[in-house]
Amino acid sequence: MTQAMPRKRKLPLKERYALLTRDLDWQPSYVGKEQLYPYTSYEGIKVHDWDGWSDPFRLTVDAYYKYQAEKDKRLYAVLDSFAQSQGHLALSDASYLNAIKLFIQGVTPLEYAAHRHFAYLARYLEGPAPRFAALCQSVDELRHAQTQIHTISNYNKYYGGFHSWSKMHDRVWYLSVPKSLFDDAMSAGPFEFLISISFSFEYLLTNLLFVPFMSGASFNGDMPTMSFGFSAQSDESRHMTLGLEAIKFLLEQDEANVPIIQGWIDKWFWRAYRMSALVAGMMDYMLPKPVMSWKEAFELYFEDQMLGGLFPDLDFYGIKPPRHVGDAIAEKDHLSHQVYKILHNFSFAAAFTTSTPTEEHSRWLASQYPDTYQQLYQPVWDRHRRIEAAGGRVFFQGLPQLCQVCQIPMAFTETDDPARISFRRSDYRGETFHTCSNGCQWVFEREPEKYVQAWLPVHQIYQGHCGGPTVPDVLAWYGIQDGDNGEYQGSPDARSWADWHASNPSPAPER
Amino acid sequence: MQYELRYQVIEPKRNSYQNVIDRLGDQPATRYQEATLDVEPRENFHYRPTWIAGRELYDPRYSALRLTDPYTFADPRGFYYTPYVTNRAALHDEFGKTLGYLEDRDLLAKLPDAWRGVLASVVIPLRHYESGAQLVSVAGARFAHGTSVEQCCTFAAFDRIGNAQMLSRVGIALGGGTGDVLTTAKQEWLDGAHLQPLRRLTEEIMVVDDWAEGLLAIDQVDALLYPLLYAGLDERALLGGAGPYSLFAQHLTRWFADQRKWLDALVTSWREDPEHGAANTGHLDRITQTWAPRAQEAAAALSAVVDDRLNGATP
Repeated sequence: MTQAMPRKRKLPLKERYALLTRDLDWQPSYVGKEQLYPYTSYEGIKVHDWDGWSDPFRLTVDAYYKYQAEKDKRLYAVLDSFAQSQGHLALSDASYLNAIKLFIQGVTPLEYAAHRHFAYLARYLEGPAPRFAALCQSVDELRHAQTQIHTISNYNKYYGGFHSWSKMHDRVWYLSVPKSLFDDAMSAGPFEFLISISFSFEYLLTNLLFVPFMSGASFNGDMPTMSFGFSAQSDESRHMTLGLEAIKFLLEQDEANVPIIQGWIDKWFWRAYRMSALVAGMMDYMLPKPVMSWKEAFELYFEDQMLGGLFPDLDFYGIKPPRHVGDAIAEKDHLSHQVYKILHNFSFAAAFTTSTPTEEHSRWLASQYPDTYQQLYQPVWDRHRRIEAAGGRVFFQGLPQLCQVCQIPMAFTETDDPARISFRRSDYRGETFHTCSNGCQWVFEREPEKYVQAWLPVHQIYQGHCGGPTVPDVLAWYGIQDGDNGEYQGSPDARSWADWHASNPSPAPER
Repeated sequence: MQYELRYQVIEPKRNSYQNVIDRLGDQPATRYQEATLDVEPRENFHYRPTWIAGRELYDPRYSALRLTDPYTFADPRGFYYTPYVTNRAALHDEFGKTLGYLEDRDLLAKLPDAWRGVLASVVIPLRHYESGAQLVSVAGARFAHGTSVEQCCTFAAFDRIGNAQMLSRVGIALGGGTGDVLTTAKQEWLDGAHLQPLRRLTEEIMVVDDWAEGLLAIDQVDALLYPLLYAGLDERALLGGAGPYSLFAQHLTRWFADQRKWLDALVTSWREDPEHGAANTGHLDRITQTWAPRAQEAAAALSAVVDDRLNGATP
């Protein structure tokens, strides 16, 4: 019988965590490193010491299960009670759900894509510590996709537009904006993916891409989505610290990494910013009770926090603010209005509905955009309102031209002339390609061989790949059902909402 | 008697998402079904991967094993994220209680020498095997075709880190709260003759291109190691004065029983696929023929050491 060994010093937390994670790794000797990790050199990134990665959070597997199971128990309790009590009747208005339609069609699939491709990093990054962090994030992102599906499942039972989110993400024109962004990141190498998603998406712009939906939920009585948002918060903060550690680690490893990463920051800022245009339109026009304007959010979360806070820190490594940031700032008074005009014009082919802003909403927009709204955009809405008062509704006839990079219809104006559509052209292999901005043109010309592959929805319709030549053919192929699309007033959702509230003392707010 | 609560009834316009309705009819669906069916994108990928030629971002051709419709396979455990973490939280909670009990009473230190040796030089080094198995499983998380299949691989990958951490925590406890046992166990993994067939095999499986072949090759090893080292030593441990070994090993045995459920069901789906069944069966047989003898060899080397240590020991 052995004597009990004398107790030695207890392992310090950091060391214990290393033993439970990165120390599981070993140097293979029966197969080559290049065989095991074939994708970590072709992007030109140099890593000399993977041990230099300092874990941005320390979460052992048992603790992870415990926290997450507890959080989910609480979240699903909210979902169940909301469903049981017909909580959707207490929303600010059924038109609010247009934001959530956009969310499940456009954002939930991105969570799922992140789940799949963080698994790629968990397989192929050479360092065991970042591999483990990526594995955690992969599992988290699956959580987000699935809890969103369940959060929204109850709305799907009573309202249109939610029912075919997965197919729509693959097919519908405005959803090629987010889909192409993630396809772009996933088809890039592992380090570019890390910078694009962990840094640009999760850190730099998360407060403009993801959080506005959660805040909108909170202001508009959407308890399930708000609860999801709170429940995802601790996951997101892990993802944000991963993004920050990733960029600092790569910048510290080798000076030659700096220009490569600068290029990715320039590219991914613009890609993600362009996608956020859809969120801008949502924030300013789709929420019956708005949270804050796009412009205010952009100033607070991007100009103050990122340009004012993060980039001065990154300057130490030689990193400059994103190349086209000036254009983004210059158009902050215009972006949401121009995007919502597009959505309003083309919502006959969308799986959500749109409406001309009410006079009250119009006053709010005027107060948020004193330099542009009344001058440039209110007259447009006044015209719509007059036509609608006479029983009409204007939709744009025909199909728009799409930007070859961001895939948003070409309707943005020049930053110095709001009367002129911004239109850039580039030639590649004897063909002409059009982009919507300096940023998208620059992104195109950096990797034309990639962007010429884009599955552009309008081209695809013209080429006959989308169900047939007529609008009803295409809508059927999109999976859009009668009344999912078009004008909100008089839509099935609006009529149901009025019926459900007819016997109630407080009628639905007038839109 | 019960009271009657009046509440507003609103007839739903549909009971589930359209893709679920298309498959199962318009009836209430389970959360597993809504979270799983048709979630993976199918078509219209914008760009080709720069890291592999001739493949789409999602592509059935990442494996020779195919399903006509990946959603004919369903996880028999019904795991989507929440039931998965809830189940594993319980497993790790129970493991933690076991380990706490062993540590409080210093039971690992009181193990017979032969059993301490088996733990330190055969079982604890397998935390590296688990880590290798994680790398293999996570390839399925990325490359398997269909959410039904890939989420099982995702959970299996995370499980493996969990298993590796359970083994590591036993190692830390065995080392009296230090990393000493883990350090020597790693040395054994790298240099110990008895572990080299297994390490070589693990490394070779880690570089297999076909994610499903890698997963099945690892399973060939699991199918020998788990019964041999955990369930198989249970009675011997109880009779040989090594009850603490049995207490800890039960958790890994439990995990392996759970792992079998989805993997056996997946193999059945592959074999019975209406279109690819015959080709799948050919591939499955080839995979077994390729890897089973290697797994036998690796397990035999460990089995010999275990027998050697334990047979020399007093009961």
